[in-house]
Amino acid sequence: MDFNLQADSREISVFRKEVQEWLQENMRGAEELRWSATWSTRENEEEYGFRRKLARKLGGRGWLFPMFPVEYGGGGLAIDHQLVLESELDRYGISLAAVFYTLARIVAPVILKWGTEEQKRNFLPPMLRGEVSVWQVLTEPQGGSDIATCRTKAIRDGDHYVVNGQKVMVGYHHPPDFLWTLVCTDPSGPRHENLGWLYIPGNSDGITIQPMRLMMGIKNAVFFDNVRVPAFNLVGGENNGWSVANTHLELEHGGEGRVGADPLVERVVEYCRETRVAATPLLEDTSVRDMIADMMIELHVVHLFARRNFWHRYVREPHPYGGAQFRYYQRMVRLRNGERLQQIMGYHALVPDLTVNEVVDFEYVVRSGPGMLHGGGTLDTDRLVFARRVGLGRPTKEKAPETI
Amino acid sequence: MDLRLTKTQNMFKRAAADFLKAEAPSHTITEWFGSKAAFLPDLYRKAAALGWLGMVIPERYGGASTSFTDCAVVFEELGHGPLPGPLFSSGVLGALLVLEGASEEQKKTLLPAVCSGKSIVIAAVADGGVDWGPESVETRLTRTTDHLVLDGTKRFVYDAEAATAFICAARTESGEIALVLVNRESPGVSIMPKAGFMVSVAEVRFDKVRVPVSSLLGGAGAGWQILDRALEKALPILCAYQVGACQEIFDFTAEYTRTRVVFGQPIGRFQRVQDHCVEISIHLDAARWVTYETLWKLDSGVPATAGVHEAKAVASEAYYQVCNFSHMVHAGPGTDYGHPLMAHSVMAHTLYQYLGTPLQHKRRMMDALYPRAGSRE
Repeated sequence: MDFNLQADSREISVFRKEVQEWLQENMRGAEELRWSATWSTRENEEEYGFRRKLARKLGGRGWLFPMFPVEYGGGGLAIDHQLVLESELDRYGISLAAVFYTLARIVAPVILKWGTEEQKRNFLPPMLRGEVSVWQVLTEPQGGSDIATCRTKAIRDGDHYVVNGQKVMVGYHHPPDFLWTLVCTDPSGPRHENLGWLYIPGNSDGITIQPMRLMMGIKNAVFFDNVRVPAFNLVGGENNGWSVANTHLELEHGGEGRVGADPLVERVVEYCRETRVAATPLLEDTSVRDMIADMMIELHVVHLFARRNFWHRYVREPHPYGGAQFRYYQRMVRLRNGERLQQIMGYHALVPDLTVNEVVDFEYVVRSGPGMLHGGGTLDTDRLVFARRVGLGRPTKEKAPETI
Repeated sequence: MDLRLTKTQNMFKRAAADFLKAEAPSHTITEWFGSKAAFLPDLYRKAAALGWLGMVIPERYGGASTSFTDCAVVFEELGHGPLPGPLFSSGVLGALLVLEGASEEQKKTLLPAVCSGKSIVIAAVADGGVDWGPESVETRLTRTTDHLVLDGTKRFVYDAEAATAFICAARTESGEIALVLVNRESPGVSIMPKAGFMVSVAEVRFDKVRVPVSSLLGGAGAGWQILDRALEKALPILCAYQVGACQEIFDFTAEYTRTRVVFGQPIGRFQRVQDHCVEISIHLDAARWVTYETLWKLDSGVPATAGVHEAKAVASEAYYQVCNFSHMVHAGPGTDYGHPLMAHSVMAHTLYQYLGTPLQHKRRMMDALYPRAGSRE
């Protein structure tokens, strides 16, 4: 096994140098910016603008989706290139998947798998070039994690679907260019066989977006009122929405993987070096050290699970239960770390600090502990998926879908 | 990055799995644990014949010069048993102690014997049963004109009964730690098996044992450094053994949820039971990936000290927790000494203590990364 992210062949080391130089040039002006996490908690317009621009620049070179085919706007590169881009961006505190506010990182592979050739040629290039932002729009007020009980209807009318209904707790603080959503195409059809996936232009008539201020930042309610969507935009075919959902959910639910590590512990250690109680740095305190050790080990395991999933995804051997396991574990770790921070630093753990990146802002970590336990589906759904993939209490094991 | 095993490693893995299937199937292991037979000389000889002792030792000393990961792959398979016997305690740790601490002369005579299984060299480090670290070494080492005298009691020594020789950690008159090679047959050495919820642990007494001055490994005072160096390389292989054990438990627990029917359905349909299996998988995979990343560090010369302590903490904790969650799934039947889970449970508790507990290793990990200002270790 080789865990080295920098073990470059000659060709790859040339590529790394190119990326490094390019980033040096193009990250100029970001020195003063402090990144939000993937959510829109901070609503910093300057940062938003920078990220959108960076996405276009990366996308223009095929570096936003390095392993996607060139004809769709990808880089046509190999896993080693993807690793270089991920690890070099990581030095600046962001990851390829979260360069800008979009869920294109999940949507694009799903279109690649389920779209027709014509759809791929139409939908993918602007997305892969970083020009458009996409929201996934799945949760409904009555459904929660049970997204198959979809009440947003899309009824065929000639060359269009007419969409009516409501989704909640979606998106960011800027409106999207496209909505990526599950709809009920056959209200009288059997469960799981009555669904469709639509790629809906965000500026369509009849769409109303209403912000919701939530524990973890801004999300929105989206209302569809007789929205006419070209039938061309149905991805995966008639009443095949649930198959598309499986690919989508595997990616959203941890299967996409990641190579960067969470830098939280380094900042905690720095805090504990600088903060004294009774003239002694907190870092000398045995119980504080024990808590840091647990935090460090658990975050390291989160990191290793994410790397494992990344690896399995890109060698196209999906890990049977890795996505669900990662997602459940990561969320439980974040919750535990919130309490550890409070135990270590008292009130300081509850005060936002805008001078650092959001992922190492103690207040954000504490708040997102309980706040992000359920985004994209509860922990309980993760464990159900796990049980099916392992085949607990069942003679057969559900297969993990291939996701790129 | 490449997270796959190599072809050779897959070959090692298959060979070890075949060996286990043929020589030590689950029910046989359960019988051994039931009768407290932790050391089976025949089995040990067969394992030695396959080259599993001293795998990481250079070929010129009778080893196989394999990588640490190669060796770990074999031990992971053996952990599925869990195969008992001093394969790790002598074949890995004992051999590495000799390699790290002994003179060329000592290595040339001792290592080939350890690698062939003729000699079984067991480390006897802590005197008490609570602490693990330099302070835990209390046995006295005094020097007369022409020999050394060891005096003290190591109360919990893993695999002591199998030993042909011990490497005993002792304190010199000036308070330094020295490692001394002691023949099991030396007058004054006595071994008393310990009863308890553990396996293969015995008390070893060194009652004014006289050994020649040449039995010293390294200089007086170099003892703990030699131990640290040997442990850094050995512990991840013990971790791999625990990973294999966790994998075995995960597999048979998942299978049990398919076949065990109560309240009219297989228990795996119950979400509480599923939750236990999720926890098992997390501990298993945490141990697996922390262990193999550490092995990769060792093999590629990346500083590994903190990682080794982390791996021992995570793997021992994992084995222990995996057993506990599996007990939750198996309930009554899993507490029968005739059930494979019991062999694992006893082994997990033993290895939780062996060579330092998770808490002790987490603290050492922190000390390696962030030394205390007033370091009073």
